[in-house]
Amino acid sequence: MSLLADVLTVLLNGLQQGAIFALLAVGLSIILGTLKFVNFAHGALYVVGTYTGLLVAHEIALTSGKLQSWGFTSLGLDLGFFAALVVVPLFVFVVGLGMERFVARPFYDRPDTDQILVTFGLAIVVQELFRILFGSNSLPFDQPAWAAGPIALPVVGNFSQWRLYVIAITAVLVLVVYALVEYTDFGLVVRAGTRDAEMVRLLGIKITRPYIVVFGIGAALAGVAGVVGGPLNVVNPTVGTDILVPAFLTVVIGGVGSIVGAVIGGVIFGLTTATLVAVAPAWSQIGLYAIAAVILLTRPQGILGNEEVAP
Amino acid sequence: MSDETQDATAQGAAPSEGVAEKEGFAGYELDTAREPVVVGATALFVLVFPYVFARMPVVSGILQGYQGLATLMLIWGIFALGFDLLLGYTGLLSFGHAAFWGGSAYAAGVFSQFAAESLGFEAGPVIIVVVGTLFAVLLAWGLGFLSLRRGGIYFSILTLAFAQMMFYLSSAPLSGITGGENGFTAVTVGHLFGVFELESELPSVLGTLMGTWLYAFVGLMTVVSVAVAYRILNSPYGMVFRAIRENEQRTEFVGLNVWRYKLMSFVISGAFAGVAGSLFTIHGNYVPLQSLYWTESGEIVIMAVLGGAGSLFGPMLGAGIYLYFENIVSGVRDLTVPFTDIVLLQGFGEYWHLLLGVLFVLVVWFFPRGIWGLFQDLRNRVTGGDSAAETGGER
Repeated sequence: MSLLADVLTVLLNGLQQGAIFALLAVGLSIILGTLKFVNFAHGALYVVGTYTGLLVAHEIALTSGKLQSWGFTSLGLDLGFFAALVVVPLFVFVVGLGMERFVARPFYDRPDTDQILVTFGLAIVVQELFRILFGSNSLPFDQPAWAAGPIALPVVGNFSQWRLYVIAITAVLVLVVYALVEYTDFGLVVRAGTRDAEMVRLLGIKITRPYIVVFGIGAALAGVAGVVGGPLNVVNPTVGTDILVPAFLTVVIGGVGSIVGAVIGGVIFGLTTATLVAVAPAWSQIGLYAIAAVILLTRPQGILGNEEVAP
Repeated sequence: MSDETQDATAQGAAPSEGVAEKEGFAGYELDTAREPVVVGATALFVLVFPYVFARMPVVSGILQGYQGLATLMLIWGIFALGFDLLLGYTGLLSFGHAAFWGGSAYAAGVFSQFAAESLGFEAGPVIIVVVGTLFAVLLAWGLGFLSLRRGGIYFSILTLAFAQMMFYLSSAPLSGITGGENGFTAVTVGHLFGVFELESELPSVLGTLMGTWLYAFVGLMTVVSVAVAYRILNSPYGMVFRAIRENEQRTEFVGLNVWRYKLMSFVISGAFAGVAGSLFTIHGNYVPLQSLYWTESGEIVIMAVLGGAGSLFGPMLGAGIYLYFENIVSGVRDLTVPFTDIVLLQGFGEYWHLLLGVLFVLVVWFFPRGIWGLFQDLRNRVTGGDSAAETGGER
């Protein structure tokens, strides 16, 4: 009984962590696969999402930062979590559109290294802006009242409700994006563009609009990851740089451009981390990087990647 | 090294008759002739820098510099120089150089502790640097062998992953050796050559100019590093690095073993990082865990690109600028109009990292050759000459 319960708990924990990785990775992966753009600022979008979500969902007391010194002792709309789940994706979607237009587009024709460098610089700028405005202290992000506390599951026993919601929300969102890319005309153009952008252009299809939308969707997913992950993680400006590396590895091991691959990658990482946390906590982070290294070296295009898509 | 250089000459020279022009090797002659100038200028700079920066009347008052920072700038300068060999000359963007910097820093620290506690002698700075660098070289060989299997962004991500592994290794499983979260504190550094206390002042004029023996040692290592890097980059061996940057496929077709040159470039770059990392331990008597984190790799990327990747001195300038912002600008309380008390911006120091970030983005966007490249352009405009080839700064 107890062993089975333990195993299932680890499994659920792993799925939940994998869900956050997958949310970030799906966005990153479709941007990298379709637009061939390496976005090191994806973590910054997570930060934007998590702060916006916090401010929409709750009212928080500020203890440091410029906003506090300007006289805002408490800030936030306190509209509840559902509002945050609606507002944040829309907001970060718009941020993503702006980013595609003004940052990514000028860099499509420049080398990968330049794309990495400029988005890395942008990530630092965003991180510092949030640090200056909100201070470097971690802010509390409470779980919504209706999902706080544990729930009694059969066999498993008590398990955090919120973690289950994270898994469910992620599953729904990823399915929506998957359907969008696989079964709509929009998705058809995007997939065709992934294979051969020039050919699509020659056929008279304006590919810039699908591109900008893809970037927006990817950004919105990162924003949602920030909202659902906020109550499980800390909310501070450096969380973006901390989460970027695992997210990138998820993309790469899953296979660039593949949504299913990103989900598989996320689940593998989540399960590995959760298992190691339970068995050998000191090694929990190392396992993730070791797996990534092994997969990259043995199957460089990733689990579901195909060589021609990989840049 | 000399064997390989000769080997490279043999390999490089034969096909060059058919494919490449003679120009590259004629340039080689010219550049060696300039070597004493470059090394001499570096030595002169190293000699007077701490005085100007930390003690000279008026100038040091404006700059607000201090001795320790001058030392630190040279240490990071060596690191940046080595990093640029890889990024600016071979065209490989590593996001994992913290592994060599932090790794060698730990190796140096742990060795000094081992020597003091088990072998019963205080390890001098020279042997500490040798040990740290050896560690970095071996590590770079291993990680390079694995990471270089993939190019482009995959190389960046692989190096990043391996460096993060090192970080988490030393944070938990190896915390018995490394001190984990607290960093490594048990550094014991002996006297230089067994005679000179590192923190003691140099005799007479040298003391006024350079301050401590520690700085003199770091300065000497800097000059040696510049000389070595200059020699490598302007040898036929270094020409191959540039060829790989310009067109890897063509270099392969010419008959050169690209893989081997890339690995050597990675290892040499790791060696420079090793020298710098060991010096960092000697300088600070402490190794923070942070020195292995990937943001540290990011810092060296910023330094190199900001200063000007693909030039010899650009990245060192970038290191200086970065550290100046981090240590001096961050301490400025209010931005005032010069020589008055009119406050433009309160709490200016807080913005140092933001300013650097913005500056970095601007440089990547508009001036891919960095600040050093800007200087060169300015000089060319004034003199009307084309000097890009002189410093190997063409990009």
